[in-house]
Amino acid sequence: MLSADELRNKTQLYFDDLELQQEMTALVIGPLTTTHIFRWSAAIENWGRIHYDQNFAIYHEGLPNILGHGSWKQSILPRYLKDICLPDGWMWKVSFQHRAMIVPGDTITCWAKVTSKSTQDGLGLIGLDVGMLLQTGVETCPGKATIVLPIRGGRAVPYPFVRPKNA
Amino acid sequence: MTATTSALTDEVRAMIGVTGDKVEASLLGIEREGLRRFTQAIMDPDPRYWDDAFAKSTRYGGIVTPPIYCTYLGRKTPAGADDPVSRAFLENPNCDGVAGIEDSGVGALPLVPTNLRRSLNGGNEIEVYKYPMLGDRIFSQAKYADIAEKIGKDGKPFLIITTEVIYTDQDGAELCILRQVRLRR
Repeated sequence: MLSADELRNKTQLYFDDLELQQEMTALVIGPLTTTHIFRWSAAIENWGRIHYDQNFAIYHEGLPNILGHGSWKQSILPRYLKDICLPDGWMWKVSFQHRAMIVPGDTITCWAKVTSKSTQDGLGLIGLDVGMLLQTGVETCPGKATIVLPIRGGRAVPYPFVRPKNA
Repeated sequence: MTATTSALTDEVRAMIGVTGDKVEASLLGIEREGLRRFTQAIMDPDPRYWDDAFAKSTRYGGIVTPPIYCTYLGRKTPAGADDPVSRAFLENPNCDGVAGIEDSGVGALPLVPTNLRRSLNGGNEIEVYKYPMLGDRIFSQAKYADIAEKIGKDGKPFLIITTEVIYTDQDGAELCILRQVRLRR
């Protein structure tokens, strides 16, 4: 996981730097604890008991333990892709499905692999397969993403971001 | 052989494009304390979220939020409001912490008129265009972007309902779009 100083000083990744099938540096989070999961509940005021009340989760809902939130996973993939794009690229689109449950003790590895490269309006669009692997090798959040990176010698990625024509 | 009755009735089809009211999704706008708690919960130490001097030097020109932070702001209970947690547990001591607590109904879409009750999360799509800054106010508007029908392995029809929520700031600038696919069986 990049530190604050590493994020502050991160050098730009360019469209030209990536090749098809290239794997991006992973982001590893965990092991997650009950406290990490509860902290998310508190931060977004999600009072669903399956996320912090172990007796309720196990004995009332029949779950193996309290569960990590789908809404947390939903923010982790954009956070991971944002870091890849810093400082001047853009995390444009990401889609994913919620698969396996996350429980305390799990460690999550966010990953991305280049599946396509194209240029539109002078911008470099990178298609990615993405996901969040559990330590067991089970994929909990498979998906696809499009990030936009500057092309060496090309124009800056606009901010606010503007959809490329025909994209 | 029994003919399968379609779940995609005229009444269901008529929901496609139905749009809710545009509502303010943030109680206090974008503020430091909420941002601090959120970024700690996603374990993101990015100084763009807390270091004024550094953030001012970036292309954003000041403190910004994580990509879809603004989509989580609608859950918060306003100061002085009836306590929804106490109310929900008085009504149902076995409350799951969700029913009766989280949905204020403001800006919500009307229910899809179907007898299919089981609801499954079919996935999410996110598009991001701009990061809100400190002090920005956030607005959201939901619509049924699409409703389609498929036949399951059991031969029974089910609905694929795509809800789209567009988040904008006080100037109407598009921040992000969140689409959620739900399967109704």
